[in-house]
Amino acid sequence: MRPDPQTHAQTHVRVWDLPVRLFHWSIVFLLCLSWFSADQGYMRVHLVSGLTLLALLLFRIAWGLVGSTTARFRNFLHSPRRVAEYLKGLAGGDKIFYAGHNPAGGLMVVALIAVLLAQVATGLFANDGVRFSGPLALLVSEDVSTRLTGIHGLIFDLILLLVWCHVVAVGFYLLVKGDNLIWPMVTGKKHRSYLPAELNIVFTRLYIALLLLAVSAGIAAWVMIQGDL
Amino acid sequence: MEDRAGLSGRLSAAAYFGCVALLTLAGAGLAMLARPAFAHGVLRTLGLETAPQAQSRSFYATRVAPLLETRCVSCHGARREKASLRLDSFAALLLGGKHGPVIRPGDVRNSELYIRISLPASDERAMPPSGKPPLTEDEKTVIRLWIADGASGALQTIAGAPPPVAEVKIPQDDPAAAQKQRAALAQSVRRLQARFPGTILYESRSSANLEVNASLLGSAFGDAELLALLPLQARITRLDLSGTAVTDTSAPVLAGMPALRSLRIGGSRMTQVTIAALRQARALKSLTIGSGQAGHGALAPLLEKHIAIYGGDDAP
Amino acid sequence: MAEGGKFDHLGLMNIQADTRRHFLGWGAGGLGAFFLNSTMAGAAPAGENAPLDFTRDPATPLSVLPPQFAAKVKRVIYLHMGGAPSQLELFDYKPVLARFHGHDCPESFVKGKRLAFIQGIPKLLGPMFPFHRAGKSGTWISDRLPHLEKSIDDLCVIKSMKTDQFNHAPAQLLVHTGDPRTGHASLGSWVTYGLGSENQNLPGFIVLISNGGTTANAGKPLWGSGFLPSVYQGVACRSAGEPVLYLDNPKSVSRAERRKVLDAVDEINQQTYRTFGNPETVTRIAQYEMAFRMQLEASDAMDIHREPAAVLERYGAEPGKTSYANNCLVARRLAERGVRYIQLYHWGWDSHGTPVDKGLNVGLVGRCRETDQPTAALLADLKARGLLEDTLVIWGGEFGRTPMWENRGGQEMEFIGRDHHPNCFSLWLAGGGIKRGISYGETDEMGYEIARNPVEVRDLHATILYLLGFDYRRLNYPYQGLDQKLTGVKPARIVSEILA
Repeated sequence: MRPDPQTHAQTHVRVWDLPVRLFHWSIVFLLCLSWFSADQGYMRVHLVSGLTLLALLLFRIAWGLVGSTTARFRNFLHSPRRVAEYLKGLAGGDKIFYAGHNPAGGLMVVALIAVLLAQVATGLFANDGVRFSGPLALLVSEDVSTRLTGIHGLIFDLILLLVWCHVVAVGFYLLVKGDNLIWPMVTGKKHRSYLPAELNIVFTRLYIALLLLAVSAGIAAWVMIQGDL
Repeated sequence: MEDRAGLSGRLSAAAYFGCVALLTLAGAGLAMLARPAFAHGVLRTLGLETAPQAQSRSFYATRVAPLLETRCVSCHGARREKASLRLDSFAALLLGGKHGPVIRPGDVRNSELYIRISLPASDERAMPPSGKPPLTEDEKTVIRLWIADGASGALQTIAGAPPPVAEVKIPQDDPAAAQKQRAALAQSVRRLQARFPGTILYESRSSANLEVNASLLGSAFGDAELLALLPLQARITRLDLSGTAVTDTSAPVLAGMPALRSLRIGGSRMTQVTIAALRQARALKSLTIGSGQAGHGALAPLLEKHIAIYGGDDAP
Repeated sequence: MAEGGKFDHLGLMNIQADTRRHFLGWGAGGLGAFFLNSTMAGAAPAGENAPLDFTRDPATPLSVLPPQFAAKVKRVIYLHMGGAPSQLELFDYKPVLARFHGHDCPESFVKGKRLAFIQGIPKLLGPMFPFHRAGKSGTWISDRLPHLEKSIDDLCVIKSMKTDQFNHAPAQLLVHTGDPRTGHASLGSWVTYGLGSENQNLPGFIVLISNGGTTANAGKPLWGSGFLPSVYQGVACRSAGEPVLYLDNPKSVSRAERRKVLDAVDEINQQTYRTFGNPETVTRIAQYEMAFRMQLEASDAMDIHREPAAVLERYGAEPGKTSYANNCLVARRLAERGVRYIQLYHWGWDSHGTPVDKGLNVGLVGRCRETDQPTAALLADLKARGLLEDTLVIWGGEFGRTPMWENRGGQEMEFIGRDHHPNCFSLWLAGGGIKRGISYGETDEMGYEIARNPVEVRDLHATILYLLGFDYRRLNYPYQGLDQKLTGVKPARIVSEILA
């Protein structure tokens, strides 16, 4: 039964802005693309995918400073004690809701961004020992480049682990707590009953996002050009 | 209020995490199936399998492993694992890489490793890849014979294998050690070098042995001068007295030089007497004489000691 | 030796260390680098390419220095057969090629390849002379070298030499200086730089030329010193007449008068040295002195009249003429007198088939006749005098010749010839440290490519330097921002299989 739009508007609140949602699903896509292209040897695709990831990560970090309420780091980064308390509460069956990322989720966001950034960074200096190397590989010695390539390989395993944890966590919320986190990340809207009573979400203008994206893309493009020099 | 968008918490946490655990194991199992190298790694870590080892004197260890070490391990070893393939150990070699085993014992034609190293250098898939020199015929033969004979870790020799090439080892410089060894005679050497310029030289920069070329002084060098070299006799390995004024008087001196390996006396005033005395020379390996200095009779005892004789009546 | 003024040895070494490159280096790095540089000036570079110290008293630039490690040989005699002798007619027996004689050559032999003169599809040319196994070692050799054959058990024949130059001048430069372009130091210069020369009254590096005027395709750079100090260059001597032109005093000038002139010149040069401090000035003084000493000794060394008739006959030498035979005999005399590096060139092996004296069936025959007996005599003579055990004798050209019949301009030729072939050529070594009576390396059955054990020119150089007691990586000289080596920048391999 399709929800009546008017009722829907009254029961569902906009929580996630467009940039965050686009960012999330783009990362999912680009991760898969990077993995596949590396495995199959399509290194040019891998390079472009990695640089796009770089641009998006830079964007997200900037957006995390000036974006909408739910996008900002200060609103979902909590002390380790807070996170531990939250997790204990979750296990105990507490029903505390957060607009945006809960403390555990916030930790995952930061962890993933950091690890992905590290992956991109090591990738810039990596080389496959034969024909292909990252755009900044020539700036370091061959030995350093090889070591960073090894780390690039190790971080990949770490990413797989984190992604699995993330999927398991989201699945937990969905199947055990009944709190669907996936659909809101697509539509941006969440049912009132899963949100705290007091809500004050401010959405930053989209044109700022576009500006930040342009700058990030510029930086990524500049890095790519370094490789051609 | 119920949210129709979700499955309102049907599972218990225990059930859920139980499923997650199962899924994780299933995933690991799939990965093991897909990547045999990973599978064996897991099994070995769990102690369910022992990695095959090769014996230290086997053909593998003495011929195949060093070859792989110099040509392949830089990209297929601990530093880098291209295509998830490692070639730096017997176990790893048999394990293979991303696309499965690279060696089929006894079957050379279907062994990916051999196929790749036999491709023409222009082929994209050739190993070593473009830019690196391809394996020589002998190296390919070694690998081919080893695979054909069952890729054994025990077999010591394989018929028809080309002989191993011994690479030249450049002797290491140790100027400090040389200085120490030279110290005992250093002063005498310097003094005598000043007296007989250009004739006394160390054998090399890292040696304390001496070579003396008195032929440059010609008839200005005689028995007395040779006696002056006596302090250095423990270290003199080569002595060239061609064309000097040294006579048979010096025979015992020459015979007594403990380290003398090469002696030239052609054109000097020495005769069979000296040559006879040289029978006693301890380290002599080579003697060059002039024409008319000795007959075959005098040389026979030296030839019996396997001393190489040059010159004599055959020479002009 | 003239009693020249004493010079400031320490000051000289300081000047030698302060090259312009150092000055610019410090300037670019700024004051900080300047400070660091001067405090670290004592720190010597460690590692496998650390250069050895060849500092000498500049008044005796050819004084003997010990090798890096125990050497197998003390001197080198290099017999270069200029023009590139045909390996297929001398050492590399190809019976399969013989079966295909006259057939069109396979397209792969010429397609996409740069050839000196062949055009289109030439015919294959089988060996022109019969081959047989010789000596106890059973080494293959053709019937063109009957005298050398007697020494076959002393030779190590390399049939898998390869080069990347297909024309004479750059190929000769590669063989003798390690680089196909001019400007590099020749092998003889490196050797005399590294070891000096035992006889201070003769040049350490002497060049003797026969059958082709005074210069080769590549000219004097073949024995030039390149970037090494000029005192290490080869001196081209003549085996007939004055050994070195203008060495002797003019008729009206006595030796005593010459001495007085030299003393005066010495004094002026010393003055120049005190003013400008250029070490080359001191070397120049030394060279004048050597020339003075050479007046006596060179004429004596080169004078083969003094040899007994039996010896002259054995070499086929004729005193008073210029010939390879004379040069070989002179080479032996120079070896006896402590000359470090003796280079012989004999030209005319370029058997293209045009004109007649370049044909395989005419020219090559002539060249063999000119060189076979003297070469064999030289080897036997060195051996008899106990010199072969510490001399390295090398015989070879600058590249090989094609298994195809040269068809210049696509036309068939009246005389039979082969074109230039860099892919494989033959060369032999004999003497100290070399395995005797062996063949190393093989070409394919058509004699087109190397089938086993290729030896690059730089590998040969590395091996020669090893026999002389040097790690080829450490016999280097800083020039143009690079520690220059004879073997160049690519890694070389010492051919261990031919070492005794």
